[in-house]
Amino acid sequence: MSNRKDNEFDVIIVGGGITGAGTARDCALRGLNVLLIERHDIATGATGRNHGLLHSGARYAVTDRESATECIEENMILRRIARHCVDETDGFFITLPEDDLAYQTKFVESCTAAGIRAEIIDPKEAIRLEPSVNPDLIGAVRVPDGSVDPFRLCAANMLDAKLHGAKILVYHEVIEFIKEGDTVRGVRVRDNRSREIKDFYAPVTVNAAGIWGHHVAALAGANIGMFPAKGALLIFAHRVNSIVINRCRKPANADILVPGDTVCVIGTTSTKVPFEECDNMYVTPDEVDLLLTEGAKLAPALATTRILRAYAGVRPLVSADNDPSGRNISRGIVCLDHETRDGIKGFVSITGGKLMTYRLMGEQAADLVCKKLNINKKCETAVLPLPGSEGGKTEEVSKKIWSVPSAPQKAAAGRAGTRAKVIPLDNPLDQALVCECEEVSSGEVRYALDHLEVDNLVDLRRRTRVGMGTCQGGLCACRAAGMIAEARGCAEKAEADLKGFLNERWKGMYPIAWGNTLREAEYTQWVYNYVLGLNEQ
Amino acid sequence: MEFDVMIIGGGLAGLTAGLALQEKGKRTAIVSAGQNALHFSSGAFGLLDREDPFGAVAELDEDHPYARIGADSLRTFAEKAKGLFARAGIELNGNPLGNGFRLTPQGALKRAWLTLPEVDLFPDEAAVKGHKVLIVNLLGYLDFNTSFLALGLEKKGCTCRVETLRLPEMERLRQNPSEMRSVNIARVMDNAWVKVAGEVKSLLKDEDWVILPQVFGLRDATVPSQIRETVPARVLFVGTMPPSVPGMRTQMQLKRAYEALGGTFLMGDEVLSAETGEARVRSVETRNIGRIGAKDFILATGSYFSKGIASDMNHVYEPLFAADVIQDEGRGSWYDPNFFNPQSFLSYGVATTPGFKVLKEGVPFENLYAAGSVLGGCRSLALGCGAGVALVTALSVAETI
Repeated sequence: MSNRKDNEFDVIIVGGGITGAGTARDCALRGLNVLLIERHDIATGATGRNHGLLHSGARYAVTDRESATECIEENMILRRIARHCVDETDGFFITLPEDDLAYQTKFVESCTAAGIRAEIIDPKEAIRLEPSVNPDLIGAVRVPDGSVDPFRLCAANMLDAKLHGAKILVYHEVIEFIKEGDTVRGVRVRDNRSREIKDFYAPVTVNAAGIWGHHVAALAGANIGMFPAKGALLIFAHRVNSIVINRCRKPANADILVPGDTVCVIGTTSTKVPFEECDNMYVTPDEVDLLLTEGAKLAPALATTRILRAYAGVRPLVSADNDPSGRNISRGIVCLDHETRDGIKGFVSITGGKLMTYRLMGEQAADLVCKKLNINKKCETAVLPLPGSEGGKTEEVSKKIWSVPSAPQKAAAGRAGTRAKVIPLDNPLDQALVCECEEVSSGEVRYALDHLEVDNLVDLRRRTRVGMGTCQGGLCACRAAGMIAEARGCAEKAEADLKGFLNERWKGMYPIAWGNTLREAEYTQWVYNYVLGLNEQ
Repeated sequence: MEFDVMIIGGGLAGLTAGLALQEKGKRTAIVSAGQNALHFSSGAFGLLDREDPFGAVAELDEDHPYARIGADSLRTFAEKAKGLFARAGIELNGNPLGNGFRLTPQGALKRAWLTLPEVDLFPDEAAVKGHKVLIVNLLGYLDFNTSFLALGLEKKGCTCRVETLRLPEMERLRQNPSEMRSVNIARVMDNAWVKVAGEVKSLLKDEDWVILPQVFGLRDATVPSQIRETVPARVLFVGTMPPSVPGMRTQMQLKRAYEALGGTFLMGDEVLSAETGEARVRSVETRNIGRIGAKDFILATGSYFSKGIASDMNHVYEPLFAADVIQDEGRGSWYDPNFFNPQSFLSYGVATTPGFKVLKEGVPFENLYAAGSVLGGCRSLALGCGAGVALVTALSVAETI
């Protein structure tokens, strides 16, 4: 393979979400020469727009046994391979006075049958363990739910793929498939920044584009009946609960509250949306009202807790019936060999599924790719830890790197795990904080700019959490933009980025801008549009 | 405790009203909860973002405070404002009857009316063209973006060189990851400025302008002019990310001048409730002092940031008197999805009579006046009239009382 051209690969993966990242990692670990292309940045679709729930599978135990079993198996795997992305919180399924307590019995039986530990606990004990829970609860079941940082998980998979030779091209979009007869030979892509057109070749192309996979498949001449189901969520400024809280009833709106880092997230709604809207998800006042009303039933404190932002994602469900809400469609994995299904050779789609089952999706896709390439290599993603998660408890990682870690060093280790050792954080200049809310230091920002394929401020936020805290970028956005300008020597682009970043933050803020969020918004408006005069630029 | 006038709020409007009333011989007190808009000042005051601010009054909505005052009185108050500051020891730059421009930290020019002493006021856009500029920052200081400043100036035909100073005096600050902020640096610079001036002088080549961040003169207002005397080029001090060092110093200077005139400044205190009846305010209850009575009261509590107005999911309200608030019905109409477009919520505030008496359920309080950004109908960010409204309405209310 040494005389292969640099635009030839064993496999091309389309989509830089968690599914694409997991597939790329799996293929790269099996020794394949991998190219991953993503039209925006990593984790810009549903990957970055969900609860960050490490499902135990209990939610699906009654209605979808297959998904439930997949979830609990993957849950246990992620605790081992992605420990720096996972928070082992446990979860409650609570029964409120208006719910049917009889459902609890069925729920526990179904969990047990699916291999999910489900333990009925006394409501008083539930309140003692999770003081934020609605004190009116009449029943509680404890299950092994947790939380997972999807950005970190996606980035770690990408990084491992890269460490095993994969090439990753962000801001590259497939514009057509290069076909010979009924065989896909590769893809023609456009660099969305330079507008340059490039061709890449591989015997197999994997469509892992989430809801946009519908469009990608159509480009190749295949039809996947997808069902774009919008889910809206709210992030609160405090970690109100320390244990995931769910409702013990059939899955419905706004019935999961997940703690993550210093915040918590309530969601979701479920509404079918047209494909045209998938690129521009916004949250309506009605959705906010519904999320708050239902959320306060799980934890009454939510009614008075500051909301940081509202956001929405689109689940890449595959249509199975005429259910208008999408709630009853299976969350199961759909791995399509378009050769047998549609007569298109060299083309595979991996879709359906969920964040929790991304690794298994990657495994199934990689198995199919290997079969097509006649390669007999076993999947190793379930046993090899992701970069950052090798050995040791997360809390101890910073002490192994620095004998007396400072607050910014601890924060970096919390995000990057053992990979924090490669981030320059030894001198005071590197430790100077860019983002106070999230304790992101200059060293982390510089490292991300130099090594993590950051094009703009929003990309930087996905990799470092800059601007994700209480002030939503009020101060740090300008600092980080200045650092980008210096690192890249292009102030003009950095200034345009800063405007883009502020608009992106505002998009999530205005649906919930009242109280302190409105105060923050007024302040940010005056600083950027008056003191700095950014609106004039 | 009894006063002639009790002023709620120690920002620009409250202090201006206090100074004007003390000069008239009234016995006044100001309750100040702490931070106010001077803490994120641009270093310049805006009257109205129009070439001819007085001529443009006729175009304003009838709710706008200037429309109520009228162009003629606006001129009088505008001139009075500059005089009042001068008597408080602050020589503002600019002609109170006209507009000029200030240089923003992005290197943009924004219309300004009067500026704080160290902030340059340019007569026109041409004054910023074609200069050779040395921009000097302090190592590790992220809140002064030299790249953006240089970009903006280069677009205006200037050539820029950026240098960074490493001062041993700042090493201690640098040891703490969150200490490199304007006010902390300014405290160091109160003593270290001589050294900075010397270093700047030695860095200077053929540049005719030097730009420094606004981190000088927190304690001693004369430091910026002393630096100017040392460096053989025109020295400009350009804004940083908040807090604003010139703004904070100005607030302290105004407070001292107010106290020198016999005013009572209740720092760090807060009005918790008010006793009202028969369309009059009888007294207010503060956290530290308790009941304070007065003949007249001025509501100068600012807008959202200073908590002069607040909001819940569906309403914007005035928390102290439940005064009427000018606002749009329904949260959906409060915002524009584009951050850089004018935002409706920024124009909300207290409704008053044309003489700034506060309305509650349509009925004015006989002895409660509103001044500054608590007032509704200003659109002060879009119109660039925030400081102007604070000064002018405070002077107008003081005259009425």
